[in-house]
Amino acid sequence: MKRLRPEKMLAIISPTELTETLTNMLHREGVSGYTLLQTSGFGSSGPQTGMLDIDTNVLIYVILSEERVSTLLDDLERLLRKGYHLKVFVSDVGLLTI
Amino acid sequence: MYGFSNLLIPAVLFFALGFLARLIRSDLRFPPDLAKALSIYLLMAIGIHGGYELGHAQLLTALNSVFWAVVLGLTLPVVGYFVLVFSRKVDALNAAAIAAHYGSVSAGTFLTAMAYLDSNGIPYEKYPVIMLAVMESPAIVVGLLLAAWSRRRLGIVRDDVRADAGGQHSVGILREAFLNGSVVLLAGSMLIGAVVAPKSMAALNPFVTDIFMGALCLFLLEMGMEAALRISEFRRMGLVLAAFGVLMPLVGGLVGVLVGRAALGFGVGGTTMVAVLAASASYIAVPPVMRLAVPEANPSFYITLSLGITFPFNVIFGIPLYHHMAQAIVGA
Repeated sequence: MKRLRPEKMLAIISPTELTETLTNMLHREGVSGYTLLQTSGFGSSGPQTGMLDIDTNVLIYVILSEERVSTLLDDLERLLRKGYHLKVFVSDVGLLTI
Repeated sequence: MYGFSNLLIPAVLFFALGFLARLIRSDLRFPPDLAKALSIYLLMAIGIHGGYELGHAQLLTALNSVFWAVVLGLTLPVVGYFVLVFSRKVDALNAAAIAAHYGSVSAGTFLTAMAYLDSNGIPYEKYPVIMLAVMESPAIVVGLLLAAWSRRRLGIVRDDVRADAGGQHSVGILREAFLNGSVVLLAGSMLIGAVVAPKSMAALNPFVTDIFMGALCLFLLEMGMEAALRISEFRRMGLVLAAFGVLMPLVGGLVGVLVGRAALGFGVGGTTMVAVLAASASYIAVPPVMRLAVPEANPSFYITLSLGITFPFNVIFGIPLYHHMAQAIVGA
């Protein structure tokens, strides 16, 4: 287990339209990479079938250190306060290193 | 019901099939990106066709069509906004977001109207295609202005989000309003259609003409399923809002008939198309902009209204009704 470095993983579910805003935010925080998936589901905005752009969400996974998480969460909180429909999950993960 | 037999055309029947398939919980499903691909194809095909025809059209009538498209795009959202605000069923920001959809247009409804007129052998002017391209954007700007005005009235102060890097957010929203994918594709295809040599156009015909109606049927099959999926959302909206989704297109259709005939001098077919443009509500171009610019509004309201109520209403009842109205006013 020594090869696992403790990190934080953010999972952000967001409307497709916010993708650029979110990825710009990540770049500003110096995040070197992220994974982005198109997703479907159901929520307060109704069905998200993923068939049209208007009902497609994105799920962004990003792994970063605890120090960086705090600033990023501040930015995400500002978006939530403006009314954007985002879901943000933070979890502790172990990152396999060599 | 007037014109019901005229609705027995494949495009409308496939829409009904999609609607029914979802209601009876069939496992009929489209591959995820097929609907997006079909909408790209349909906009490209209609753009090339419209542009080719307009390349041989009268400049003055084309400019007049653009002028009236802008007038419709600017005024219809204001009407919708005040109707919604006075109904007191939604707050002013939701009213602004919903109203913007009703000043913009639905390419799907427009194409269904084309199929309806073609199937019934009714000729129509090509100028409404320009109006289709022009009407996507002005309503978005009006919606944004109404939202800004509503925020002032409600005393909501929006601070600059650091994440948006200041003014870049506003620029991004305006860019989305005027340069969103469907506007660029439609306007670009029209330009290509207008300048292309007739021989090259003949080579494109198998792609943009021969398979067009089949592709439209597939697209409407999927849209029927999308519309039916939103039926359960009606309860969340209430009867008054649902009624708005039917009454607003009727108002728009009436205004469109008057503009098509009195201001533009079109025949029955062209007047019907203008009425369809004025009566339809966007579900492609406007929702992303409203989600970005008016996050306080509930997307469930405006998507359910435009896609779940107004679109099916126009496809099944609206188009024959606007055709009837156009016949009455042109005959008079």
